Amino acid sequence: MTAAAIEIRSATKTYASGIEAIHAFGPSSLSVGPGEFISLVGPSGCGKSTLMLMIAGLLDCTSGEIDVGGHVVTAPETSIGIMFQDNTLVPWRTVRGNIELQIELRGLPVAQYRSTVDRLISSVKLDDFADRYPYELSGGMQQRAAFCQTLVHRPQVLLLDEPLGKLDAMTREAIRRDLQALWLADRPTVIFVTHSIEEAIQLSTRVCVISPRPGKIERVIDIDLPWPRDLAIKRSEKFSAYASKIEEIFHGYGVL
Amino acid sequence: MAMASSEKSHSAPADASWWRGFLRGLARSWAFLLFFAGFFLFWQYAIDLFGIPAYILPRPSEIVTRGWADIDRLLYYTYVTAVESLLGYLVAIVIAVPLGLSIAFSSFLRRTIYPFFVSLEMTPKIAFAPLFISWLGFGLLPKVIIVFLVCFFPVVLNAILAFGSLSEELVRFIRATGASPWRAFFRVRLPAALPQCFVGFKYAAINATVGATIAEFIGSDQGLGFYIQIVTGNMRPDLAFAGIFLLTLLGLALFGAVTLVERWVIPWHISQRRSR
Repeated sequence: MTAAAIEIRSATKTYASGIEAIHAFGPSSLSVGPGEFISLVGPSGCGKSTLMLMIAGLLDCTSGEIDVGGHVVTAPETSIGIMFQDNTLVPWRTVRGNIELQIELRGLPVAQYRSTVDRLISSVKLDDFADRYPYELSGGMQQRAAFCQTLVHRPQVLLLDEPLGKLDAMTREAIRRDLQALWLADRPTVIFVTHSIEEAIQLSTRVCVISPRPGKIERVIDIDLPWPRDLAIKRSEKFSAYASKIEEIFHGYGVL
Repeated sequence: MAMASSEKSHSAPADASWWRGFLRGLARSWAFLLFFAGFFLFWQYAIDLFGIPAYILPRPSEIVTRGWADIDRLLYYTYVTAVESLLGYLVAIVIAVPLGLSIAFSSFLRRTIYPFFVSLEMTPKIAFAPLFISWLGFGLLPKVIIVFLVCFFPVVLNAILAFGSLSEELVRFIRATGASPWRAFFRVRLPAALPQCFVGFKYAAINATVGATIAEFIGSDQGLGFYIQIVTGNMRPDLAFAGIFLLTLLGLALFGAVTLVERWVIPWHISQRRSR
C-alpha cells in the first residue's frame, strides 16, 4: 500500500479566546491518498478553513496530528501550494510578477522557472494579460492568475480554500472546468474547501461532509462518476442522487 | 502631432505629449481657474465698493506691486523658511519611519512607546515652541526642532499603521513560502506599507511650513513668519499678504514634491490611477 499524501489523526483545534475556549474543529481523522481530490463541504464557520490551515502547518493542532508527505507537520509546510478565498496577488506586480513572487520568496532562481510561468499563463488563457496589473483584470482572471501563483513551484499537494467563493456563477463554472483539466493532467493531491455541494461532487474523488461547530468529518462519500465531468454528467441521475444524499445529511443537521 | 511615434532620437514627441497633457489639464481645470480669477476680481473691486481702507485690507494689485518692490527680502526669507521646513521635515521622516517600523514589529515597543506617542499626539506640539526658543535661541536649530515635532507624529503613527496592517492572507502566504524575514520585507511588507506611509508624509508636508512660520513668530530675526509679524506691526498688510502668498507657494511646492515622489514610487496604488 502506498503511503498517504495527507494523514489526519484525531486532529482538534480549540481557540482560547478570553475565558471561554472555542472548540472549532474535530476530533476527526482522514487518510488522503496521492492524487486524490477531496472536497470539504460544510456550513459557514464549521472549521473547514481551520482544518486547511492545520494541514498547511499555519495553525497548530490542539491535539492529534497531521502528516503531509510522510512526516508530521510542525511548521509551515513549504512543499505544498495553498490558495485562499482572498487571493494573494499584490497590486504592485503584474500577473507574471505575481507568479514569480512565489519563486522569489522561496529563494529559487526565477530564470529557471520562466518556461513554467509561460506555460501556466497559457493554460489559464491569460497570455494577453501577463503584463497587466491585478486591478486591470476581472475577478475571474485574478483567480486564474492566483492559481498560477499557487502552482508555479509544482507542489504535489494543493490546498484550495474556497478559491471560487467570490466569483459569479458563470465564471465559477468556467474555472471549475479548467481546474479539473489541470488536476486530470498532473494529478496532484487536492484538498478543496467549498460551500457548493454541486461543485464538490463535480470535482472530487471523495466529498467530506463536515458537521456544524464543532466541525467534524462525519461522512465521507466516494463519488463514482467518470472523468472528465462535463455538463452531461452534471445532468445525470447519479449526479443528482449524490447531491440529494449530501443535501439530506445537511438537512439532518438543520442547516438546509 | 500624430507623426510623433515613429522617430526615436527626437525629443519632440515627448515635448508634444507633455504639452498636450498640459493643455488637457488646463481644459479640465477651467472651472477652477475661472473661480480663482473671479475670487481675486471680486476682492479687487469689493475694496472700492465697500470702502475698505488699505491699512485694513489691500487690493490684490497692491499686494503684487508693493510685494514686488520688496522682492529681494521676500525671496531671501522664503529661502530661510524653506530650509527650516525642509530640514525638519526630512529629519522627521528619517527618524520616524524606522521607529514606526520597529514599533510595528515589536510587541514590547507597542506596549511602551506606542501609547506614549498616542498621548503625545494629543499635545499641541506647537506649545513647546517658546520653550525651544528659550533653550536654544533665535537660530536655525530651534525652528528645525519645532518643524520636526509637528512632522514626526503623523509620519510615525502612519508608519506603525502601515507596517502593522498586512492582510492575514499575505502573512500566511509569506509563511507558507518559508521566505526569510528580509526577503519577505523587501518583496511584500515594504511595498505593501508604502501607500499608508505616504499618507503620513503628505500630512507632515502640510504641517512643515505651519511649524516653521509659528516658530518664526515666536522668536527669530529672519524668515517669512518673522517678516509677516514685522510688516503687520508697521501697518503694512499688503506686504503681510505678499508673505502669506509666498508661504502658500512654499507649502504647495513641498506638498507637490511629495506627491510627485509618491506617483513615482507607488504608481500602482489606487490613489495614483487616473482614468484615461
